[in-house]
Amino acid sequence: MKPQLREFIFEELIFVADPQTFGNDEDLLEAGLDSMGIMRLIMFIEDQFKVTLPDTEIDPDNVKTFNRLEAWILHHKS
Amino acid sequence: MSKNQANILQALNPADYFTLAMDEEIRHETGVGSLCGMALELDALPEITVLEDKIKALTQNFPIILTSLQQQGNRFHWCQRDTIDSIFFQYHATSTLDIEQIIANLMNQVQARETIMPLSFHLIHSDTRCVLLFRWMHPLCDAVSINLILQYLATDDKNQREKFHVPTPEALVTRQLNKFSLWKKIQLFLKAKRYITTLDQQQSIIHAAKKSPKKLRALHYQLSVEQSHKINQFAKTQTGITGSSLYYIGCFMRALEKMNPQQSGEAYCVPYAFNLRKQKALTPLLGNHVGVLFAQASRQLIANRKQLFTHLKQQNKTVIRQQLDYAFLPIMWAARFLSLKKHGENLRLSYTHKTERSSFWFSQVNLTARTSESLCNRKITGIRHFCQISSPPAIALLSCEYQQQLTLNYNFIEPLFEPAWIEKLHHYMLDELLTEDSP
Repeated sequence: MKPQLREFIFEELIFVADPQTFGNDEDLLEAGLDSMGIMRLIMFIEDQFKVTLPDTEIDPDNVKTFNRLEAWILHHKS
Repeated sequence: MSKNQANILQALNPADYFTLAMDEEIRHETGVGSLCGMALELDALPEITVLEDKIKALTQNFPIILTSLQQQGNRFHWCQRDTIDSIFFQYHATSTLDIEQIIANLMNQVQARETIMPLSFHLIHSDTRCVLLFRWMHPLCDAVSINLILQYLATDDKNQREKFHVPTPEALVTRQLNKFSLWKKIQLFLKAKRYITTLDQQQSIIHAAKKSPKKLRALHYQLSVEQSHKINQFAKTQTGITGSSLYYIGCFMRALEKMNPQQSGEAYCVPYAFNLRKQKALTPLLGNHVGVLFAQASRQLIANRKQLFTHLKQQNKTVIRQQLDYAFLPIMWAARFLSLKKHGENLRLSYTHKTERSSFWFSQVNLTARTSESLCNRKITGIRHFCQISSPPAIALLSCEYQQQLTLNYNFIEPLFEPAWIEKLHHYMLDELLTEDSP
């Protein structure tokens, strides 16, 4: 799951000089993930992983890092 | 190759055409064209030679800045000039009022599209104040570009500046379009047309007086750190982390409605651009790389804050879910083959009512993560934004956050709007922005 998320975020949403060194616990919001990017990311996740993420849970805590994103998705996938 | 073709440095991309069409519309109204400005308030006069050297380096690496926008056949291109004019100017002002007058004159300067420098820098100083105005014509670049140019000028290290030079093979609008097959492009094109037709079913509320447009005026209000912090918090509560622009748009709709609830029309319709660059990317530095979104809300929805924000959030989500944000890109691509007049009409006029579609223009230009706090060793103490607007709607709200402080920039065309009206509007706007709702 994380490789797909990483590819989408670095390919489409934010620029980091060396994506490979960007850790799964590093702050994506600090790295530039903005409101429009979060919307696109959620649409990508729902489409790619066939999961529905409730609006009420769209929160910095859930989208802040790759690890948190994955946990959030898995929570709704099970 | 003809002499004319040899002079071509670069063609305009579809998003540049979009702004060029508006340049044409504004030229018809006031003669000025789509000029934009960013004024940096500096704590003291910078070292002129250092600033000039940096501007020189910028133009050497981005020669389009020194070109002329010319029509050749049906298309427009950035073309080399026979003689290159200076793009850095200095003015000595006698007072603060004088500084503001010089800025106003520069933002209202009438000059032919072919002769105006696409970007110029104007250092205006008095004994007590110093302002550096970046003035550009919109087809050259968008607001993110100007942030990048500021960042470029503020970067002292040559190696760091190299990072801005990475060539981009094509405009981001084109790159995004190339990801779609022909059938997908057609599908998106039709989808966007249907969407606009739906928007156009409701007649837009326009507050501009029916008078002949004369000149651009701007009023700027810098809010305190505390107010700005509160507004950011409230925006998060109302529109969530996925739509802070929507908070400003919703509040501005309500503030306008309070000014004149009897104004004819059924709904507020607001176009706003989103950036196609990756966040924090330093390239492409020039060019317009944006897509378009619309926020629309009826009078009934505007009457209830909570319902309004829920609606705007849902509308935004639906648009992205249905790929309607990218759907406007094929429209932009196709529209560049139209005459500027026809392109402008399509951008502005409702298909159903044949009246102006936009109730106001809006842009959120946040500089927090991008901008240096100093330029040529001088502290930047404030940033204000200017933009020419078509009439109607004759009013634009540009919000900007810099060093944790929000500035609300109201740009308007006189006499369609008057300063006293805008001042009252700002009070309503501030009330709206600072209203705390339950989550």
